[in-house]
Amino acid sequence: MKRTEYPVAIRELIAQLRQMPGVGPRSAERIALWIVQARNEQPAGIARAIASTRDTIRPCLQCGFFATADLCEICADDSRARELLCVVEQPTDILPLEKTSAFRGRYHSLGGRISPLDRVAPEDLRIASLVERVEKEAPSEIIFALAADVEGEATTNYLVALLKKYPVTLTRIAHGLPAGGGLESADELTLSRALAGRTRL
Amino acid sequence: MLRELQLRDFRCFASIAAEFSPGFNFIVGANGQGKTTLLEAACVLLRLQSQRSSSLAPAVRVGQRSFVVSGHVGEHRLQFYYRALRRKVAFDGVEQRDQAEYLRLVRVVSFASHDLELIRGPAEMRRRYLDFIGTQAEARYRPVLRAYERALRSRNALLKSPHPRPRELAAYTEPLVRAGTSLREMRAALVRRLAPFAEASHRAISGGHENLSLEYAPGSEEDFAAQLARTRTEEERLRLTIVGPHRDDLRLQVEAMPAAQFASEGQQRTTALALKLAQAQVFAEDTATPPLLLVDDIFGELDAARRNALLAHLPNESQKLVTATALDWRAGDWGGPVLELTDGEIRRRDK
Ligand SMILES: Nc1ncnc2c1ncn2[C@@H]1O[C@H](COP(=O)(O)OP(=O)(O)OP(=O)(O)O)[C@@H](O)[C@H]1O
Ligand SMILES: [Mg+2]
Ligand SMILES: [Zn+2]
Repeated sequence: MKRTEYPVAIRELIAQLRQMPGVGPRSAERIALWIVQARNEQPAGIARAIASTRDTIRPCLQCGFFATADLCEICADDSRARELLCVVEQPTDILPLEKTSAFRGRYHSLGGRISPLDRVAPEDLRIASLVERVEKEAPSEIIFALAADVEGEATTNYLVALLKKYPVTLTRIAHGLPAGGGLESADELTLSRALAGRTRL
Repeated sequence: MLRELQLRDFRCFASIAAEFSPGFNFIVGANGQGKTTLLEAACVLLRLQSQRSSSLAPAVRVGQRSFVVSGHVGEHRLQFYYRALRRKVAFDGVEQRDQAEYLRLVRVVSFASHDLELIRGPAEMRRRYLDFIGTQAEARYRPVLRAYERALRSRNALLKSPHPRPRELAAYTEPLVRAGTSLREMRAALVRRLAPFAEASHRAISGGHENLSLEYAPGSEEDFAAQLARTRTEEERLRLTIVGPHRDDLRLQVEAMPAAQFASEGQQRTTALALKLAQAQVFAEDTATPPLLLVDDIFGELDAARRNALLAHLPNESQKLVTATALDWRAGDWGGPVLELTDGEIRRRDK
């Protein structure tokens, strides 16, 4: 006997939902059923929000953070110190640093780190645009806030070698940040301390 | 003390449970009944790694996708769940993200017939012996070892890449040097602690006749950075990092001659045993709780007198799980229960 299943459209929806991070088969099914059975406009609202976010959000041309225009809010803010530039691995590393209120400069997100084992080379990262910014904006200090693991350290070393010919002080946030997880997994206090205790390279 | 142990879908066992006593526990059974498997499960539960293989994947029962080992150490309940790419550790029912606390509970020393490989096998065997002790003895050891391995593999990948990548290589050389230097210091300190114990044990087991000497032979010089710089052209040619702790060895000499080439079979067995006893003594020195000893079928070529002598040399305070295919050689009263393993069932005989 043939076993009855959900109609193709629902099964397809479940399959699509499962591609989202953190959504397993059980939750995909629950979300799909909620979408199908909702008596209000909420699912349509979510669909519109997904589509419009995809249309309006793009990486900031300057630093790589999330933006709705060419420049993100941070880069467009003239009150922020131009002399300080903080280099991070991912755009998501910027908000935890912002939360500490300990840093009032600008950021540059690399979009990853140099990792031969994951086949990520320097040319895959936003390194050329970092050098360009250093030449154009002439910051007085560049703070490296990469993870304290092997790849984070190696990427910092690479950038330091590349940038040491410019008249800029190069520093690194204090170690003790969790390895691998990056800045997201560090709490505010740890991050403020790491910023305050930065060391010269 | 490990009071009881439960296995689910672990190697040959769909489900089995065993209860242990302090001191000696003898596990007997014919070949292939799962004696080694029981000891392996104890090691996996307490150390989250197998003394038998470097990956846990082969321990999943054929046809299944995950295994669970659980048990009680004193009043604490330990659980370990394994599935490819996923592992869960719980202590008293609470999932542990940081395993350091969990791993502090019980240390393990495993004695097995393949310990002879420690003497005869390649240097990798002796590095693994040191690392197995180091990761149990010092919280810092594992992260340093992992960092070294990661930096080494990254660097070798760069050396193998079709285009030369000197700047990336330099960027990865620094973490390699830092982790490598720490690892060298930690291994050197470890050998300094092990040596007197191993040398004394060897002398005792051989009836005071033979002298063993144990020496750390590092694969890198004190100034690791300078040595790496000197070997750069050779590295380019071989496309490999050729110096470093991944080339470390432990130099073993019996009566001032290299044990691998010159020692007799019996002498080699004695040395292997002495190394393991030294490990137990280092652990006993470090913690209030003596280590659990897993003694797997090491009686092979030994006569009955030596078998009994061997048991007598095992540290008194430790709990011991001892496997054998038969026990008719036992002389005197070692105490402890006998667990008979047949067709996936355990029958316990207390005397
Ligand atoms: N992943 C697995 N799934 C199912 N069975 C397995 C698995 N791995 C090993 N086995 C089987 O488990 C059985 C028990 O092996 P084990 O090494 O524990 O036996 P043993 O009692 O120590 O034997 P011996 O006396 O020969 O050393 C073997 O028959 C082996 O084939
Ligand atoms: Mg066996
Ligand atoms: Zn920006």
